[in-house]
Amino acid sequence: MSKVNPKFAIELSKYGSNDFHACFNCGNCTATCSLSNAEDSFPRELIRYATLGLENELKASLKPWECYYCGDCSIQCPRQAEPGELMMSLRRWLTSKYDWTGLSGVFYRSLSVTILAFVLIFAAVLILADSFAWNLQNMMHVGHLFEMTVIFMVLLVIFIPNLLRMWYFTILKPNVKAHPKIYFIALSDLFVHMFTQKRMKDCETKDNFRWLEHFILVIAYLSLLFTTVFLNWFNTESLFVVILGYVESFFIFIITIDFVSSRINKNKALNKFSQLSDWLFVIWLMIMGLTAFFVRLFIDTGIIENNKWVYIIHFTILAQWALIIVPFGKWTHFLYRSFAMYFSKIKSLAIAQ
Amino acid sequence: MKERIGVYICHCGGNISDYVDVEELSKMFYKEDNIVVSKNVMFVCADSSQKAMIADIQEYKLDAIVVCSCSPKLHLHTFRNVAACAGLNPFNYVQVNIREQCSWPHSDHPHEATVKAAGLIRAGINRVSHSESLENIEIEVKKSALIIGAGVAGMKAAIELARSGNEVFLVEKDYFVGGHIAQKGQLFMSDQEGKDVITSLYHEIKKYPNITLFTGSTIEKVSGSLGSFHIELKVKPRYINPRVDKQTVKSVMDECPIEIDDPFNLGLVKRKVIYKNYPEALPDLPVVDAEALKVFPDFVAKYKSVLNLTEEEQIISLMAGSVLVTTGYDDYLPKEGEFGYKTLENVITLPELNRLMELNPNKLVYGGKEIKSIAFIYCVGSRQSKGENRFCSRQCCTSAIYTSLQLKKKYKDIQAYHIYRDIRTYGKQEVLYEQSSKQGDLYFKYEEKEMPVIEREGKSLIVKIKDYLTARKQLEIETDMVVLVTGMMPRKDALQISELFKIPVGSDRFFNEIHPKLKPVETVIKGVYIAGACQGPKNITESVQSSLAATSKIIALLKKGSFSADPIIARIDMDACSWCDKCAEVCDYSALKMIEMNGKMVAGVNKAMCAGCGICAPVCPENAIEIAQYTDKEIEAMIDGFLAKLEINEKEGGSDSTPKESAIRMEEYPQVWKEILAVMKDGKYTIPQIAENSKLNSELVTYHLMTMNKYGIVVPDGMDDKEMYYYYKENEDSH
Ligand SMILES: Cc1cc2nc3c(=O)[nH]c(=O)nc-3n(C[C@H](O)[C@H](O)[C@H](O)COP(=O)(O)OP(=O)(O)OC[C@H]3O[C@@H](n4cnc5c(N)ncnc54)[C@H](O)[C@@H]3O)c2cc1C
Ligand code: SF4
Ligand code: SF4
Ligand code: SF4
Ligand code: SF4
Repeated sequence: MSKVNPKFAIELSKYGSNDFHACFNCGNCTATCSLSNAEDSFPRELIRYATLGLENELKASLKPWECYYCGDCSIQCPRQAEPGELMMSLRRWLTSKYDWTGLSGVFYRSLSVTILAFVLIFAAVLILADSFAWNLQNMMHVGHLFEMTVIFMVLLVIFIPNLLRMWYFTILKPNVKAHPKIYFIALSDLFVHMFTQKRMKDCETKDNFRWLEHFILVIAYLSLLFTTVFLNWFNTESLFVVILGYVESFFIFIITIDFVSSRINKNKALNKFSQLSDWLFVIWLMIMGLTAFFVRLFIDTGIIENNKWVYIIHFTILAQWALIIVPFGKWTHFLYRSFAMYFSKIKSLAIAQ
Repeated sequence: MKERIGVYICHCGGNISDYVDVEELSKMFYKEDNIVVSKNVMFVCADSSQKAMIADIQEYKLDAIVVCSCSPKLHLHTFRNVAACAGLNPFNYVQVNIREQCSWPHSDHPHEATVKAAGLIRAGINRVSHSESLENIEIEVKKSALIIGAGVAGMKAAIELARSGNEVFLVEKDYFVGGHIAQKGQLFMSDQEGKDVITSLYHEIKKYPNITLFTGSTIEKVSGSLGSFHIELKVKPRYINPRVDKQTVKSVMDECPIEIDDPFNLGLVKRKVIYKNYPEALPDLPVVDAEALKVFPDFVAKYKSVLNLTEEEQIISLMAGSVLVTTGYDDYLPKEGEFGYKTLENVITLPELNRLMELNPNKLVYGGKEIKSIAFIYCVGSRQSKGENRFCSRQCCTSAIYTSLQLKKKYKDIQAYHIYRDIRTYGKQEVLYEQSSKQGDLYFKYEEKEMPVIEREGKSLIVKIKDYLTARKQLEIETDMVVLVTGMMPRKDALQISELFKIPVGSDRFFNEIHPKLKPVETVIKGVYIAGACQGPKNITESVQSSLAATSKIIALLKKGSFSADPIIARIDMDACSWCDKCAEVCDYSALKMIEMNGKMVAGVNKAMCAGCGICAPVCPENAIEIAQYTDKEIEAMIDGFLAKLEINEKEGGSDSTPKESAIRMEEYPQVWKEILAVMKDGKYTIPQIAENSKLNSELVTYHLMTMNKYGIVVPDGMDDKEMYYYYKENEDSH
């Protein structure tokens, strides 16, 4: 027996979706969605849960992560209930539910808190620079250390507990009995989805270009991370690493530029409604690529000493990215989505047993 | 006995002649003595054939005709007209149906079909030779109409009937006009207030001196028939002196000490025993509940100039040419315990909620508590697959949804839950459904086999439902109030009206029209019409539409001043009749009454009321009754004719004419077909084009082309750009 809660709609509207009440359950959206199938049927089912405020059912569901927001359902909906946007909002809402700190929810819901956090980080960077008497060498060294530590801390303190929570909500609580062997077998799915976004290619309205862009962006981003953190790009003598870094940051910049412009033009269904978190994600990624590129360029042209501000900006962007967007913002979707595919594989294998 | 009979046997373009040997039959009957003309015709109903028949009747001085073709339902009047045009009495014509009764049902036995057709035609010839010339019955129609029920349907009809100059008697059972609409607040789709609609209709009625409104009145007796119905009315008194000024009456009302349940407000509040349904109710004169006031003699004595408790009921007689029944419907009243009605607090019906909203303009309060959420349960008392109300009440979905929109507008913060079986907001009403969803109303779907259950839990009600929109999950809805969306029912006292006027009721117990599509406001009783919700569930638009349809029928009837009826009715042999009363007992139309004839009591037939059904004839022990056109002589002659021995030669190869084979045997086709096909060789043509190119007469082309079409030798291929003629082309498959 589940209790109907009409107030849930108010909460969900803070994560973006406002129109889902218009739904009259015709099922056109589910019929159109090329990723939905008989076993995993959506988005109508989730619209229904959202309308009735059945939070437990929503929390236990992995389906929001199976949607890649092609927007076909929203185009077909006869009531303009924007089912695709609801799926997106549910992903944001779920992110905030998985996050044990609750900060994700705060950042999603409140613009002023988000701005405040960004400003504070900027101030901290300035204070730090000042304490090093604006010595670039030292600052870069600290920056490098910072990057390393944060990666591990975020993984340890935020991501691992959150993924465990996600596992609890979707596997443990709904009583899915899966043999440890299954966890191992399903691992391949996790990696395939994490690095290739394979499902996006399953969409019928295949946008191969978008998929390719996305794919390159993920690879470029991850390898730039590797290049800066482990190959120490800003400090390396290896010509190969230097060029590698240039290429990577160039790709990041070009692709994010395209993403930003399509959000501005709203030329695709998925770009019709952009939330703060969507803007922050692409813009910060773009500036990060750009400033990294310039920092290295200034080093190579020897003008960095007179233009320390480039590094200050790069470092600020990096810190904001690593402390807010990665652990609490849209970046997490990358992680949750792959794990959702992993968990749902586990679920289906467990049921098949 | 008729001596010069014409027999016309139709091919029906092959429909008949493919199986019944019409040529042989026409030759056979031609040999008989009293038959002057016997023809077989491609399409007997075609204009040219009709003209030829008229010429025959006049040229050969025919005294009767028999047309052997299709059902009389199709062409009885066509050939009656043919006879009349030729100067022959239309009743000296008999229709024999050899298509529906011979060629179609016996297509597998063409010879037997021909034999049967011969028997039927012979019977028809025998019948027509005994036929009498009859004249239509002309009935005088009084220029007045009686309307029963002053709801929206009746009021609108009264205005339109009066506008075209007729005397109108509008009879209302209640003391105030308006029917159900007066009880509603705003109405869907016009957003007008129900009482405003009634007020404006009432003022319009008052503009016509030829409308007499009787309130507090019921029909007691009805006699007579179309043209002159005699009606007896009982008018109940208001027990109040109409000459006293309004101010005084009002002060007496205010001072009145007793309060009783208020049926107009569905028992939600009490009312005085000197009352109006609502302050603006019309006519603007209160009514006194005399019984209740009798126990207060002092009060009555004090205001004896105003109160008049000794006033008596009146019986009034009226004459009306036609009657319109607009008695409306009753709201379904849930049984005790049905979804917690009367057994759980805060479970009410939709009409009750509508009154409650009228009584609570600012804050929705019930039982002392403000209502913040309402669950509507749909289809209560309607669509019962096992109960007696199988129909859908048609307007309640829209009404519940519209009410929900009103709730939000009026009281702002209120959550509505709609628990439905299907949403039937047809036509323009669909937009209301969308608005309601978008304002945040929640919808749930249940099935009749798994009804929602309502329980009380603390201060709230809990509705437990198996929701078909959520994979039949068990859900609980917590709500302050449950509203049962009750449907429309036939009036409890509808049977009384039905008996008085002999209006049939359907299995749903609403009044029945003759045909829901073709005669939607006519009843089998001539001159009696029905409209509005007494026919079945309708919203206001639909009620008024039917009421105006009935009105225009009545206006046409009254305008002529007379009515021409079929003369096929019962007649009494005065000498044989001994007035035993047996016939009157069986007559469903009350057409038989005792009359005095030359000092003798005999049965008399009311020509306007008799439907010619014939039930009375066989029950008469004296055999004193016969029905025109169905006299014993005619019927016996038909039987003789049908049984007479016949010699018919079996047609060669008659039984294998299926379309496919016909198409293959192309060479055998008549010259005309070859000529037509020659013209059509290189493309598609319309009939006029073929006629022109082939130099054939266009009627001939029509007949043959239709037959060729039937056999698949040609096929239609679109229309010309004026959409006047079809194109035909040769069928490739037929080679
Ligand atoms: C809850 C509810 C809400 C509705 N809301 C709307 C709306 O918003 N919009 C809309 O279009 N429709 C609405 N409807 C439908 C509307 O009420 C009907 O279409 C309309 O009332 C039908 O009118 P009527 O004149 O046929 O019948 P009625 O309104 O029933 O009037 C019949 C009249 O005949 C009188 N009468 C009955 N028997 C006799 C007798 N034997 N002798 C003399 N008089 C008699 C009655 O007293 C009454 O005055 C609603 C219906 C319901 C149940
Ligand atoms: S297509 Fe629109 S109205 Fe239909 S079920 Fe999906 S969201 Fe609801
Ligand atoms: S946005 Fe695309 S993938 Fe997501 S639910 Fe709609 S149709 Fe399916
Ligand atoms: S109109 Fe709607 S509520 Fe009324 S009986 Fe029909 S389906 Fe049920
Ligand atoms: S024919 Fe029928 S309607 Fe006419 S009087 Fe006889 S029983 Fe009555």
